[in-house]
Amino acid sequence: MSNCETTRETIGAWLDGELAAAQAEATSRHLEVCAACREERHWLERLHSSMRSVLEANGSEIQFEPFWQGVQRRVAQKRNWYDELGDRIRGTFSAPRLAWAIPAVIVIVLAGLSIDSFFPSAKIGIQSDNLATVESIDAYGRNVALLHEGETNTTVIWLYQPQESENDSSTEPSETKPSF
Amino acid sequence: MTLLRNLLKLSLLSSLLLPAVYAEGAETGSRPVQVKIGTILASNESDQFDARLKPMERQLKVMKYRSYRLLKEDSQAVPWNDNATFEIPGGRSLAISPQDTKDKQIALKVRLAEGTKPLLDTTVRLQNQGYFLLGGPPHEGGALVISISAFAQ
Repeated sequence: MSNCETTRETIGAWLDGELAAAQAEATSRHLEVCAACREERHWLERLHSSMRSVLEANGSEIQFEPFWQGVQRRVAQKRNWYDELGDRIRGTFSAPRLAWAIPAVIVIVLAGLSIDSFFPSAKIGIQSDNLATVESIDAYGRNVALLHEGETNTTVIWLYQPQESENDSSTEPSETKPSF
Repeated sequence: MTLLRNLLKLSLLSSLLLPAVYAEGAETGSRPVQVKIGTILASNESDQFDARLKPMERQLKVMKYRSYRLLKEDSQAVPWNDNATFEIPGGRSLAISPQDTKDKQIALKVRLAEGTKPLLDTTVRLQNQGYFLLGGPPHEGGALVISISAFAQ
Protein backbone atom coordinates (compact mmCIF):
# COMPACT_ATOMS: atom_id res chain seq x y z
CA MET A 1 0.00 0.00 0.00
CA SER A 2 1.42 3.43 -0.90
CA ASN A 3 2.10 6.08 1.68
CA CYS A 4 -0.78 8.23 0.36
CA GLU A 5 -3.27 5.38 0.68
CA THR A 6 -2.14 4.65 4.25
CA THR A 7 -2.37 8.30 5.16
CA ARG A 8 -5.85 8.74 3.67
CA GLU A 9 -7.12 5.72 5.58
CA THR A 10 -5.80 7.02 8.86
CA ILE A 11 -6.34 10.74 8.40
CA GLY A 12 -9.76 10.72 10.07
CA ALA A 13 -8.41 8.92 13.12
CA TRP A 14 -5.42 11.32 13.12
CA LEU A 15 -7.74 14.32 13.22
CA ASP A 16 -9.64 12.74 16.12
CA GLY A 17 -6.38 12.05 17.97
CA GLU A 18 -6.97 8.30 17.96
CA LEU A 19 -3.66 7.18 16.42
CA ALA A 20 -0.65 5.78 18.27
CA ALA A 21 2.23 8.23 18.60
CA ALA A 22 4.45 6.65 15.92
CA GLN A 23 1.61 6.41 13.40
CA ALA A 24 0.47 9.98 14.15
CA GLU A 25 4.04 11.19 13.60
CA ALA A 26 4.28 9.36 10.26
CA THR A 27 0.95 10.84 9.14
CA SER A 28 2.09 14.37 10.10
CA ARG A 29 5.36 14.00 8.19
CA HIS A 30 3.52 12.79 5.10
CA LEU A 31 1.00 15.61 5.24
CA GLU A 32 3.85 18.14 5.28
CA VAL A 33 5.20 16.88 1.97
CA CYS A 34 2.06 15.66 0.12
CA ALA A 35 -0.25 18.31 -1.30
CA ALA A 36 -2.99 15.81 -2.27
CA CYS A 37 -3.22 14.37 1.22
CA ARG A 38 -3.17 17.86 2.68
CA GLU A 39 -6.15 18.66 0.50
CA GLU A 40 -7.87 15.53 1.86
CA ARG A 41 -7.10 16.70 5.38
CA HIS A 42 -8.62 20.14 4.72
CA TRP A 43 -11.72 18.57 3.22
CA LEU A 44 -12.20 16.38 6.28
CA GLU A 45 -11.59 19.32 8.59
CA ARG A 46 -14.24 21.34 6.75
CA LEU A 47 -16.68 18.43 7.04
CA HIS A 48 -16.02 18.07 10.78
CA SER A 49 -16.42 21.74 11.25
CA SER A 50 -19.71 21.87 9.32
CA MET A 51 -21.16 18.96 11.30
CA ARG A 52 -20.07 20.47 14.57
CA SER A 53 -21.69 23.83 13.76
CA VAL A 54 -24.95 22.16 12.73
CA LEU A 55 -25.05 20.09 15.92
CA GLU A 56 -24.21 23.08 18.09
CA ALA A 57 -26.92 25.17 16.44
CA ASN A 58 -29.71 22.57 16.51
CA GLY A 59 -28.71 20.07 19.22
CA SER A 60 -30.61 21.93 21.92
CA GLU A 61 -33.83 21.52 19.93
CA ILE A 62 -33.66 17.73 19.88
CA GLN A 63 -36.19 16.22 22.31
CA PHE A 64 -34.20 13.41 23.91
CA GLU A 65 -36.55 12.85 26.86
CA PRO A 66 -39.51 11.34 24.90
CA PHE A 67 -37.05 9.22 22.91
CA TRP A 68 -35.51 7.68 26.05
CA GLN A 69 -38.93 7.15 27.60
CA GLY A 70 -39.95 5.18 24.49
CA VAL A 71 -36.82 3.07 24.68
CA GLN A 72 -37.35 2.29 28.37
CA ARG A 73 -41.02 1.46 27.77
CA ARG A 74 -40.19 -1.03 25.01
CA VAL A 75 -37.44 -2.66 27.12
CA ALA A 76 -39.80 -3.09 30.07
CA GLN A 77 -42.77 -4.26 27.97
CA LYS A 78 -43.54 -8.03 28.16
CA ARG A 79 -43.72 -9.38 24.62
CA ASN A 80 -46.62 -11.46 23.34
CA TRP A 81 -45.95 -15.17 22.71
CA TYR A 82 -46.88 -14.81 19.05
CA ASP A 83 -44.36 -12.02 18.57
CA GLU A 84 -41.63 -14.26 20.00
CA LEU A 85 -42.81 -17.17 17.85
CA GLY A 86 -42.73 -14.93 14.79
CA ASP A 87 -39.17 -13.89 15.61
CA ARG A 88 -38.12 -17.52 16.01
CA ILE A 89 -39.70 -18.50 12.69
CA ARG A 90 -38.04 -15.57 10.96
CA GLY A 91 -34.73 -16.63 12.53
CA THR A 92 -35.16 -20.24 11.46
CA PHE A 93 -36.03 -19.37 7.90
CA SER A 94 -33.52 -16.58 7.53
CA ALA A 95 -31.48 -16.72 4.35
CA PRO A 96 -28.18 -18.14 5.71
CA ARG A 97 -29.97 -21.15 7.24
CA LEU A 98 -32.04 -21.73 4.12
CA ALA A 99 -28.87 -21.67 2.06
CA TRP A 100 -27.71 -24.79 3.91
CA ALA A 101 -31.16 -26.34 4.19
CA ILE A 102 -31.94 -26.42 0.46
CA PRO A 103 -28.92 -28.52 -0.63
CA ALA A 104 -29.29 -30.67 2.50
CA VAL A 105 -32.91 -31.50 1.63
CA ILE A 106 -31.95 -32.21 -1.99
CA VAL A 107 -29.17 -34.57 -0.86
CA ILE A 108 -31.49 -36.43 1.53
CA VAL A 109 -34.27 -36.83 -1.05
CA LEU A 110 -31.91 -38.00 -3.79
CA ALA A 111 -30.14 -40.37 -1.42
CA GLY A 112 -33.48 -41.92 -0.53
CA LEU A 113 -34.47 -42.29 -4.15
CA SER A 114 -31.19 -43.66 -5.42
CA ILE A 115 -30.06 -45.87 -2.57
CA ASP A 116 -31.52 -48.92 -4.27
CA SER A 117 -29.55 -48.14 -7.42
CA PHE A 118 -26.24 -47.80 -5.65
CA PHE A 119 -26.72 -50.46 -2.98
CA PRO A 120 -29.10 -53.02 -4.46
CA SER A 121 -28.33 -55.61 -1.79
CA ALA A 122 -28.91 -53.22 1.08
CA LYS A 123 -32.72 -53.38 0.79
CA ILE A 124 -33.04 -50.22 2.85
CA GLY A 125 -34.44 -47.91 0.24
CA ILE A 126 -38.00 -47.67 -0.95
CA GLN A 127 -39.20 -51.25 -1.15
CA SER A 128 -40.67 -52.11 -4.49
CA ASP A 129 -43.94 -53.85 -5.07
CA ASN A 130 -43.18 -57.38 -6.24
CA LEU A 131 -46.42 -57.77 -8.21
CA ALA A 132 -45.65 -58.39 -11.88
CA THR A 133 -47.78 -57.60 -14.93
CA VAL A 134 -48.29 -60.22 -17.59
CA GLU A 135 -48.45 -58.38 -20.91
CA SER A 136 -48.94 -61.39 -23.17
CA ILE A 137 -49.17 -65.13 -22.85
CA ASP A 138 -49.35 -68.00 -25.33
CA ALA A 139 -49.43 -71.61 -24.13
CA TYR A 140 -49.82 -73.13 -27.60
CA GLY A 141 -53.29 -74.48 -26.95
CA ARG A 142 -52.59 -75.71 -23.41
CA ASN A 143 -54.49 -74.51 -20.38
CA VAL A 144 -52.79 -71.83 -18.40
CA ALA A 145 -53.72 -70.06 -15.17
CA LEU A 146 -52.59 -66.64 -14.05
CA LEU A 147 -52.65 -65.83 -10.35
CA HIS A 148 -52.03 -62.45 -8.74
CA GLU A 149 -51.99 -63.00 -5.01
CA GLY A 150 -52.27 -59.62 -3.32
CA GLU A 151 -51.39 -60.57 0.24
CA THR A 152 -47.93 -61.85 -0.65
CA ASN A 153 -47.58 -59.81 -3.86
CA THR A 154 -47.05 -62.98 -5.81
CA THR A 155 -47.58 -63.49 -9.52
CA VAL A 156 -47.82 -67.11 -10.68
CA ILE A 157 -48.21 -68.37 -14.23
CA TRP A 158 -49.26 -71.99 -14.09
CA LEU A 159 -49.01 -74.15 -17.18
CA TYR A 160 -51.28 -77.18 -17.09
CA GLN A 161 -49.18 -79.85 -18.77
CA PRO A 162 -50.36 -83.46 -18.79
CA GLN A 163 -48.40 -85.75 -16.50
CA GLU A 164 -48.18 -88.28 -19.31
CA SER A 165 -45.67 -86.11 -21.17
CA GLU A 166 -43.15 -86.60 -18.34
CA ASN A 167 -40.84 -89.54 -19.09
CA ASP A 168 -40.47 -90.66 -15.50
CA SER A 169 -44.12 -90.18 -14.68
CA SER A 170 -45.33 -92.49 -11.95
CA THR A 171 -47.89 -90.49 -10.05
CA GLU A 172 -51.42 -89.30 -10.48
CA PRO A 173 -51.94 -86.45 -12.97
CA SER A 174 -53.80 -84.47 -10.35
CA GLU A 175 -50.57 -83.95 -8.40
CA THR A 176 -49.31 -81.41 -10.92
CA LYS A 177 -52.35 -79.24 -10.43
CA PRO A 178 -52.01 -76.68 -7.67
CA SER A 179 -54.97 -75.69 -5.52
CA PHE A 180 -54.46 -71.91 -5.42
CA MET B 1 -22.83 -10.75 3.19
CA THR B 2 -19.93 -12.57 1.53
CA LEU B 3 -20.78 -15.69 3.55
CA LEU B 4 -24.42 -15.40 2.55
CA ARG B 5 -23.50 -15.05 -1.12
CA ASN B 6 -21.21 -18.09 -0.91
CA LEU B 7 -23.92 -20.15 0.74
CA LEU B 8 -26.45 -19.19 -1.89
CA LYS B 9 -23.95 -20.11 -4.61
CA LEU B 10 -23.37 -23.47 -2.90
CA SER B 11 -27.11 -24.04 -2.76
CA LEU B 12 -27.55 -23.25 -6.44
CA LEU B 13 -24.58 -25.40 -7.43
CA SER B 14 -25.90 -28.35 -5.43
CA SER B 15 -29.32 -27.99 -7.01
CA LEU B 16 -27.74 -28.19 -10.45
CA LEU B 17 -25.19 -30.95 -9.82
CA LEU B 18 -27.08 -33.42 -7.67
CA PRO B 19 -29.82 -34.26 -10.19
CA ALA B 20 -27.05 -34.98 -12.69
CA VAL B 21 -25.36 -37.32 -10.20
CA TYR B 22 -28.68 -38.99 -9.51
CA ALA B 23 -29.43 -39.40 -13.20
CA GLU B 24 -26.06 -41.11 -13.64
CA GLY B 25 -26.83 -43.53 -10.80
CA ALA B 26 -30.34 -44.24 -12.03
CA GLU B 27 -29.33 -44.98 -15.64
CA THR B 28 -30.67 -48.43 -16.50
CA GLY B 29 -30.67 -48.65 -20.24
CA SER B 30 -27.09 -49.63 -21.03
CA ARG B 31 -25.89 -52.30 -18.63
CA PRO B 32 -26.92 -55.95 -18.94
CA VAL B 33 -29.77 -57.27 -16.85
CA GLN B 34 -28.88 -59.84 -14.21
CA VAL B 35 -31.43 -62.61 -14.63
CA LYS B 36 -31.66 -65.21 -11.88
CA ILE B 37 -33.52 -68.50 -12.17
CA GLY B 38 -34.39 -70.85 -9.34
CA THR B 39 -35.86 -74.22 -10.23
CA ILE B 40 -37.97 -75.67 -7.45
CA LEU B 41 -39.66 -79.03 -7.20
CA ALA B 42 -43.07 -78.74 -5.59
CA SER B 43 -44.71 -81.97 -4.55
CA ASN B 44 -46.96 -83.61 -2.01
CA GLU B 45 -44.68 -86.56 -1.30
CA SER B 46 -43.29 -85.14 1.94
CA ASP B 47 -43.57 -82.14 4.23
CA GLN B 48 -40.01 -80.97 3.74
CA PHE B 49 -39.36 -77.33 2.99
CA ASP B 50 -35.92 -76.45 1.65
CA ALA B 51 -34.31 -73.94 4.01
CA ARG B 52 -32.76 -72.11 1.05
CA LEU B 53 -36.27 -71.16 -0.05
CA LYS B 54 -37.13 -69.55 3.28
CA PRO B 55 -37.16 -65.96 1.89
CA MET B 56 -39.96 -66.89 -0.53
CA GLU B 57 -41.84 -69.34 1.66
CA ARG B 58 -45.04 -67.30 1.83
CA GLN B 59 -45.11 -66.81 -1.93
CA LEU B 60 -44.48 -70.49 -2.68
CA LYS B 61 -47.15 -71.67 -0.27
CA VAL B 62 -49.73 -69.82 -2.34
CA MET B 63 -49.63 -72.97 -4.51
CA LYS B 64 -50.61 -75.25 -1.60
CA TYR B 65 -48.06 -77.97 -2.18
CA ARG B 66 -46.68 -79.69 0.92
CA SER B 67 -43.03 -79.87 -0.07
CA TYR B 68 -40.69 -77.48 -1.87
CA ARG B 69 -37.09 -78.31 -2.80
CA LEU B 70 -34.63 -76.12 -4.69
CA LEU B 71 -33.19 -78.18 -7.53
CA LYS B 72 -30.88 -75.63 -9.11
CA GLU B 73 -30.06 -71.96 -9.31
CA ASP B 74 -28.58 -70.14 -12.25
CA SER B 75 -27.77 -66.53 -12.99
CA GLN B 76 -26.71 -64.78 -16.18
CA ALA B 77 -26.06 -61.21 -17.24
CA VAL B 78 -28.23 -60.69 -20.29
CA PRO B 79 -27.86 -57.63 -22.54
CA TRP B 80 -31.03 -55.77 -23.44
CA ASN B 81 -32.93 -57.40 -26.31
CA ASP B 82 -30.50 -60.30 -26.24
CA ASN B 83 -31.36 -63.84 -25.27
CA ALA B 84 -30.14 -66.19 -22.53
CA THR B 85 -31.07 -69.84 -22.22
CA PHE B 86 -31.32 -71.67 -18.92
CA GLU B 87 -31.43 -75.45 -18.65
CA ILE B 88 -34.47 -76.73 -16.78
CA PRO B 89 -34.68 -80.33 -15.49
CA GLY B 90 -36.63 -82.77 -17.65
CA GLY B 91 -35.04 -81.72 -20.94
CA ARG B 92 -36.62 -78.29 -20.85
CA SER B 93 -35.15 -74.91 -21.47
CA LEU B 94 -36.09 -71.39 -20.57
CA ALA B 95 -35.10 -68.54 -22.90
CA ILE B 96 -35.24 -65.07 -21.42
CA SER B 97 -34.82 -61.77 -23.20
CA PRO B 98 -34.98 -58.39 -21.39
CA GLN B 99 -37.02 -56.06 -23.57
CA ASP B 100 -37.13 -52.65 -21.96
CA THR B 101 -37.35 -50.83 -18.68
CA LYS B 102 -39.92 -48.24 -17.65
CA ASP B 103 -40.80 -46.82 -14.24
CA LYS B 104 -38.32 -49.18 -12.54
CA GLN B 105 -40.05 -52.15 -14.18
CA ILE B 106 -38.31 -54.59 -16.49
CA ALA B 107 -40.15 -56.30 -19.32
CA LEU B 108 -38.93 -59.88 -19.82
CA LYS B 109 -39.83 -62.06 -22.75
CA VAL B 110 -39.89 -65.65 -21.52
CA ARG B 111 -40.11 -68.83 -23.60
CA LEU B 112 -40.37 -72.25 -21.98
CA ALA B 113 -39.69 -75.18 -24.30
CA GLU B 114 -39.40 -78.93 -24.03
CA GLY B 115 -36.76 -79.96 -26.49
CA THR B 116 -37.71 -78.14 -29.64
CA LYS B 117 -41.39 -77.99 -28.70
CA PRO B 118 -42.49 -74.62 -27.31
CA LEU B 119 -44.64 -74.85 -24.18
CA LEU B 120 -45.22 -71.25 -23.25
CA ASP B 121 -44.41 -67.77 -24.53
CA THR B 122 -45.06 -64.83 -22.26
CA THR B 123 -43.98 -61.25 -21.68
CA VAL B 124 -43.97 -60.18 -18.07
CA ARG B 125 -43.22 -56.75 -16.66
CA LEU B 126 -41.79 -57.08 -13.18
CA GLN B 127 -40.29 -54.70 -10.65
CA ASN B 128 -36.53 -54.27 -10.73
CA GLN B 129 -35.23 -56.96 -8.33
CA GLY B 130 -38.70 -58.45 -8.24
CA TYR B 131 -39.63 -61.92 -9.35
CA PHE B 132 -42.51 -64.03 -10.56
CA LEU B 133 -43.20 -67.75 -10.55
CA LEU B 134 -43.73 -69.96 -13.55
CA GLY B 135 -45.01 -73.41 -12.64
CA GLY B 136 -46.65 -76.48 -13.99
CA PRO B 137 -44.21 -78.74 -15.87
CA PRO B 138 -44.44 -82.16 -14.22
CA HIS B 139 -41.27 -83.62 -12.74
CA GLU B 140 -40.49 -86.54 -10.43
CA GLY B 141 -44.03 -86.91 -9.23
CA GLY B 142 -44.48 -83.23 -8.57
CA ALA B 143 -44.36 -80.01 -10.53
CA LEU B 144 -41.57 -77.64 -11.36
CA VAL B 145 -41.88 -74.07 -10.16
CA ILE B 146 -39.41 -71.65 -11.68
CA SER B 147 -38.76 -68.35 -9.96
CA ILE B 148 -37.56 -65.72 -12.41
CA SER B 149 -36.05 -62.50 -11.16
CA ALA B 150 -34.30 -59.62 -12.88
CA PHE B 151 -32.08 -56.83 -11.69
CA ALA B 152 -31.10 -53.93 -13.90
CA GLN B 153 -28.38 -51.55 -12.59
